[in-house]
Amino acid sequence: MSPAYVLKRIALIGYTLFVVSLIVFAITQILPADAAVMLLGENATADALAAVRVQLGLDAPVWLQYGRWLIGVLQGDFGVSMRTGQPVGPVLVEALGRSLLLALFAILLMLCLAVPLGIVAAIRRGKATDLGVSVTSYIGVSVPEFVSATLLILVLADWLQWLPATGYVPLTEDFARGLKHLVLPVLTVSIILIAHVSRMVRSELVDVLHTDYIRAARLKGLSARAVLFKHALRNALLPTITIVALDVGYLLGGVIVVEEIFALPGIGRQLIVAIQSRDLPSIQAGALIMASTYAIANFLADMTYAWLDKRIQYG
Amino acid sequence: MSNFDRRQFLATSAALGGLALNPFNAYAQAAPRRGGVLRMSVDQAVAKLNPLLTRVNPEYLVAELLYSGLTRLKVDMSAEPDLAASWSSTPDLLEWTFVLRRGVTFHDGSACTAADVVATFEAILDAKTASPARQNVGPIAKVRAKDDSTVIFTLSAPFADLPVTIAYTNAKIVPAAVIKAGLARLDREAIGTGPFKLVSFEPERQVVVARNDAYYDRARPYLDRIQIVVYPDSTAEGSALISGDTDMISTVPPTEFARLEKAPGVKGLRTPSGQFCNVNFGCDQKPFNDVRVRQAVALTIDRAAMVEFVTEGYGTPGNDTPLNSAYRYYANQALKKPDIIKARALLAAAGYPNGLDATLIASDRPRVRTQLAVTLREMVKPAGIRINVETMPHATYLDQVWKKGSFYVGFYNMQATADAIFALLYTSNAAWNETRWNNPAFDKFVNEARGTVDDAKRRALYAEAQKLMHAEVPSIIPVFFDLLAAQRDWVQGYQLHPRGAVFRLDHVSLAANAPKRA
Repeated sequence: MSPAYVLKRIALIGYTLFVVSLIVFAITQILPADAAVMLLGENATADALAAVRVQLGLDAPVWLQYGRWLIGVLQGDFGVSMRTGQPVGPVLVEALGRSLLLALFAILLMLCLAVPLGIVAAIRRGKATDLGVSVTSYIGVSVPEFVSATLLILVLADWLQWLPATGYVPLTEDFARGLKHLVLPVLTVSIILIAHVSRMVRSELVDVLHTDYIRAARLKGLSARAVLFKHALRNALLPTITIVALDVGYLLGGVIVVEEIFALPGIGRQLIVAIQSRDLPSIQAGALIMASTYAIANFLADMTYAWLDKRIQYG
Repeated sequence: MSNFDRRQFLATSAALGGLALNPFNAYAQAAPRRGGVLRMSVDQAVAKLNPLLTRVNPEYLVAELLYSGLTRLKVDMSAEPDLAASWSSTPDLLEWTFVLRRGVTFHDGSACTAADVVATFEAILDAKTASPARQNVGPIAKVRAKDDSTVIFTLSAPFADLPVTIAYTNAKIVPAAVIKAGLARLDREAIGTGPFKLVSFEPERQVVVARNDAYYDRARPYLDRIQIVVYPDSTAEGSALISGDTDMISTVPPTEFARLEKAPGVKGLRTPSGQFCNVNFGCDQKPFNDVRVRQAVALTIDRAAMVEFVTEGYGTPGNDTPLNSAYRYYANQALKKPDIIKARALLAAAGYPNGLDATLIASDRPRVRTQLAVTLREMVKPAGIRINVETMPHATYLDQVWKKGSFYVGFYNMQATADAIFALLYTSNAAWNETRWNNPAFDKFVNEARGTVDDAKRRALYAEAQKLMHAEVPSIIPVFFDLLAAQRDWVQGYQLHPRGAVFRLDHVSLAANAPKRA
């Protein structure tokens, strides 16, 4: 993996983001209604619409609007939200921070539970433990978040009253309360992750345990422990890294439902609201953040791969 | 269990809702306690802080806490003094004089005078501001200050409702200096004369306000602080109230209401309102330009059943006029009953002996529009009318169908006056003349009523206008929605307002058993 290759990859990410911004901008032009229509809603009169379009700069030709936006971004200015009048950059960075916090806790919980569960299921293959883990993870994968979230709220907040039902409190404002508010969303998100990843670990490990080199290691007289942790797991975990990298994308974009239910003002919810209100600067910035997260997570996964498995060569 | 008596249940819950609304309830309790922090949840972000530009209920709620108007809308839809202590008009209703309270100050300490009122109304009437108040405050031609505490409105036509219409949600007084320097400042700050001052503002999460000690009324507000929290999911929002994490929910959907009402310590609030869903006919296009076709459609509808299907029972039947008992000038007429034979006869007379086909468009927000469309499709079938329901995203609807289509489902909030709703939707020069009914007799009744001082005469004119709509059906108004909310029993003095966009939280206090919040 040469430094030139890494640089090339980084340049490619930049190019991808540029193309994404063009495509997203083009799509917003095709969508029916613009920010002025959505802002005024059923209060729209012809002159009010015209006035708002001038205020928002929507009266300029499309290419000029895109040009203005691009120049702003290159100078680090993502513009002002058409919906709220607040600067887009800081608002979205804050929202991203909240989503990342949720993602971080969910991934930590997943790593603590999913990998051991997958291992146990793989070595007890066909036994009751395996069946238990498999069935549970099937359920975990197939129950949608809005169902599991609602069930968790009904049990843990309504009946037992252990945790607050919804709402987000920043950890910097009140650490203990903030943590309490995070438990339910983290649980909801990680149920799917755990189910997803434990199934992956199990099936990969089962495959690896049947390979010749594992048999050789066993015949060499190595302990079951050494075979598992030194030889089998290292290879079995590789595909898991890809899954985790893809799940990062899911965690940022796909958890809109979770963010909505738990009133967590993260990046997913910001983007949905932006799209609904045709808030161009927020849509553009949100899409860029999503795209770059995906790109970076993928990039990091590739790098980790190469580092873990010396047979993989890039460049 | 299977013959769960829905009617009976509804009757009981209606009675309970009525109890909660009983004004004597508030008086039965001891004098309001001072202090405490109220946490109220809303279902939508507070995106706009600028009171001239607010557009959804949570924004109106916040604007009302931070700013004052000249007048305020009471629960009975009459105007009461706010910044204006008194008002009067010339006999021809063309000039209105408002005398301001003295000694009122904005949150930044500057005095609020007639100059601020004039500047605010000039900004509202300026098309460049794009304030929704512009077409709602009344036919104001000119505003001027006679002295520091007297404002004179000159109107372009006689108008009896001015004290009520200037209580409009967006007609909040802001400092003249801010208007001069640029209204954009009010996107992030609040400089009003309202009962509370802004502490923090995060559009998607929460807005916090604290008591304004310089408020013109020495007694109110009772609360020290209010936290408005944004909880978009209604189930989670309900659970937060049940577990005591919040004290009030501003709007409860019908599907959540029963659960909340049954929860211990929670009180469901319910009030009939003029909010309605309608089916608009393009009265200038075939087939709906023929009044007999419109009447035939109206005759297929079982309105009581419509209330069940569309409002889950939390509503009242409509009679094809936009007024119901929540309005001051409502005229009670016999409720239309389904009569399929007559409907078929009307269709045949109009030249459709084999019935007709039509495409009814319904936006996906709010969901009741689709429910109404589908219910209508089934109800018109026996009369030989074949409706194809087309649903579409709200943005597409606003862009392509609203005010342009000739057969679609509308959804409207209650207005403060009969004139406001008529002039918004049904007169020939209505702001949103969706039906193009353009009926000169109707216009004449509404116009005459606007300039009439005598209450009985006005009532008679509005009754004629309603009779005409009832007969000619420019749009079908089959149901009105009740407004629903919920609170913990430690919240005192809150009355659910039928207008929907008015909250009056400065009258609310917390009982001794309320949880202590920081």
